[in-house]
Amino acid sequence: MDRRNFLKNTGLASTSLFVPQFLSGFNRNGFVQNGKNLIIVQWSGGNDGLNTVVPFHNDLYYKNRPTLAIPKKKVLKLNDDLGFNPMLSGLKSLYDDGLLTVINNVGYPNPVRSHFRSMDIWHTASSSDQYWQTGWLGRYLDNNNPDNVPHTALEIDDSLVLALKGQDKTGFAAANPARLKKAASNSFLKKVAHHHQHDHEENVAYLYKTLIDTQSSADYLTEQSKGYETKSRYPSTSIGKDLATIFNLIIRDTNTKIYYINMGGFDTHANQKNKQEKLLKQYSDAMKVFVKDLQKNKKLDDTLIMTFSEFGRRVKENSSHGTDHGTANNVFFMGGKLKNPGVFNEAPNLRKLDKGDLRYTVDFRKIYASVLKNWLGVNPGDVLLDSYKPLDII
Amino acid sequence: MSSVKKKITHLYWRAGFGISLKMLDQASESPLKITINKLINDAKNPELLDMPLPVYQKILKEGRTKKQQDVLRKKLNQENQDVKVKWIRKMVASDNPLLERMTLFWHGHFALVSGKSSHFTKTYLNTLRKHALGNFGDLVLAIARDPAMIHFLNNRQNKKGQPNENFARELLELFTIGIGHYTEEDVKEAARAFTGWRTDKKGNFLFSERHHDFDRKTFMGQTGTLDGTDIIRIVLENKQTAKFIATKVYRYFVNERIDEQHVQRLADVFYNSNYNIEKLMRTVFASDWFYADKNIGIKIKSPVDLLIGMMKTLQMDLKTDKSFFFIQKIMGQSLLNPPNVAGWPGGKNWIDSSTLIFRLNLAGYLFQNVQVDMAAKPEPEDKADRKIKLKLATTMDVSPILNYLSRLDEAAIFSTLSEWLIQADFHLEKTELDPFIRHKTRNHYVKSLLLRLMTLPEYQVC
Repeated sequence: MDRRNFLKNTGLASTSLFVPQFLSGFNRNGFVQNGKNLIIVQWSGGNDGLNTVVPFHNDLYYKNRPTLAIPKKKVLKLNDDLGFNPMLSGLKSLYDDGLLTVINNVGYPNPVRSHFRSMDIWHTASSSDQYWQTGWLGRYLDNNNPDNVPHTALEIDDSLVLALKGQDKTGFAAANPARLKKAASNSFLKKVAHHHQHDHEENVAYLYKTLIDTQSSADYLTEQSKGYETKSRYPSTSIGKDLATIFNLIIRDTNTKIYYINMGGFDTHANQKNKQEKLLKQYSDAMKVFVKDLQKNKKLDDTLIMTFSEFGRRVKENSSHGTDHGTANNVFFMGGKLKNPGVFNEAPNLRKLDKGDLRYTVDFRKIYASVLKNWLGVNPGDVLLDSYKPLDII
Repeated sequence: MSSVKKKITHLYWRAGFGISLKMLDQASESPLKITINKLINDAKNPELLDMPLPVYQKILKEGRTKKQQDVLRKKLNQENQDVKVKWIRKMVASDNPLLERMTLFWHGHFALVSGKSSHFTKTYLNTLRKHALGNFGDLVLAIARDPAMIHFLNNRQNKKGQPNENFARELLELFTIGIGHYTEEDVKEAARAFTGWRTDKKGNFLFSERHHDFDRKTFMGQTGTLDGTDIIRIVLENKQTAKFIATKVYRYFVNERIDEQHVQRLADVFYNSNYNIEKLMRTVFASDWFYADKNIGIKIKSPVDLLIGMMKTLQMDLKTDKSFFFIQKIMGQSLLNPPNVAGWPGGKNWIDSSTLIFRLNLAGYLFQNVQVDMAAKPEPEDKADRKIKLKLATTMDVSPILNYLSRLDEAAIFSTLSEWLIQADFHLEKTELDPFIRHKTRNHYVKSLLLRLMTLPEYQVC
């Protein structure tokens, strides 16, 4: 088969490939998505779950954490066993309104205590002895993005996480759409994009297609984010700004379905208290404004927010007033359509540890399965490449 | 461009990181075979990374307070970064391109994340350099005894009665025969055979009799008191190992799309020569199919290919070491820090919206010494809200290019540079680029044309 034929047969010679369909769709119909939004918040570095959702009724917690434990009276009580870190007052009010679910003891078998490896496992949804090259949401995009809208999954960042990389499709990263637009659409690159030929070899064609898609999406997102400014006051922290950007895009009904943001700084080996509490407060304060803003604008029922970290931390504090890498951890969900808001399952068992670390009771892939099946409406097995029973959370 | 020059340029992009205009002229005067011979003969004399590591030497000595030790550890980390930068600069400056290319290839194959020891990092790179074109069996054995690998794949924890299978599993799955050609039982038995393979503090290989399992094992049908050397011998006796490596070489050096016949031929050569890497590579570079149109200008350059290629072409250096790490990170290929032991997947995997825009703009950033308005993702250990932004300050010397072109008019310069820099099919006419080029003087013209050509999507492939 000669190259031209090959290209024809694989559809790469087709001109339609180069026309971003979402743009024509928007122009024709005043594109309205009306779908559900999924927002993932990644806490990088390994958040200390035990000082986030505090087992204030457990002596072992106080015994293991002579300097770091949060005094019982300061804890914001969720039930008889567990309470929030006092910095999480914003989350507490969402909890009281039935807009938040806490899942305890989330992890996976044979846990890895390396940041990179464990984050990879969370991103790819592999087991700890498998090395996968695609992310779970990337594989969702592979199967469920027929219109090829590049920003179906949008990370508010300059580079893209593995979670959003599929085999054939990837998510879209833009910390600031206007800035990306500037980088992608200078006059030369505009000219280059206009000048592409239709018989490029496969890889060159792919580069041109990605360039043109990126220019179109950056233009589109820049326009859309100009179109609406939230009336609520978001904190001027990085998470506050990210959530305000996302809110504006949700209101504008762009065809982004999945948003991804990252908060770093949770690797608290030394002097943990101030570092962690500052981050928790930033998160909680911004999240409260965001969720209330969505509620006010009738978008909360269409929104699901999941927050996770690559691992929790060791039960016993170390000698530097910090904690070392651990295993199982809590995961948060927020939204208007939670099935079982509140504390979803049992508190961590501090008696039955695995080499000083919590044992997981909920495989994180069951959580992914719930999101895929009950929120995104797809068959989880197609994405997770194995069958995991969804939990009754959404 | 003459077809001879086209072939040589292709050869040098795949076997190295491009070729200078002057060398291209010289090489085109002799038969291709001579050029291939020179590439291979040079690479058979591997120059090792040679640099003193004073901090590492110091840290070996005992008798320091914890505080002094902490200071030293920080310095060791810096020294480790220095080794990485030294390697990159070597790739740029070296006149032994195939050695550098093979080292990079083997790093992707025997991928590891370097630990904290500058000495281990240097030793690992030198293991790869020493055996780059040697015997594959020797290379695998050297890797199994390499301190950085022993550390990375936990073989120190592999003891009689408490085996750690990490190294044994990757040896079979990723380094030699590939998944599907061994059983779980083979992994377990191989792990037992490698028990007690560890290193001392200085990184010297150490066989610990106390931790080695001397009992009988059965691996891939052979039974005996096997040790690690036997495992490697047995796995190489299986022709599938030759096929696995030949396939990887073909995908990396020729085309991601496999030609079954060509791969089989490579596997035969490799196996029949008892895993002679030189013979394997010579067969690749000497085959007609290597120079077929369908194999030229179709490989997406890795971020390191792109950077080193640009730096070599422009005789460029980056003024700060940080820049090297920033560029690698934002494009998604940090040497000695691969995503995992499987290395980098390569191909279209390098490309997403953000990496592509950075790659296209990279020449512009480097030419213009601008502040890059992008932040690399922070490391997990980093403090909150740490954004790594960078001004990319460079030095470059394009005078050899200017001299080479000094007698040519604009049209001839355009065709010379575009044919030299672009391996893919090229459709742009001079008149289409002209509005974006400065025409004031010849120097302006050459420099701005270099920049524009290096900004084209076609420059992203080789």
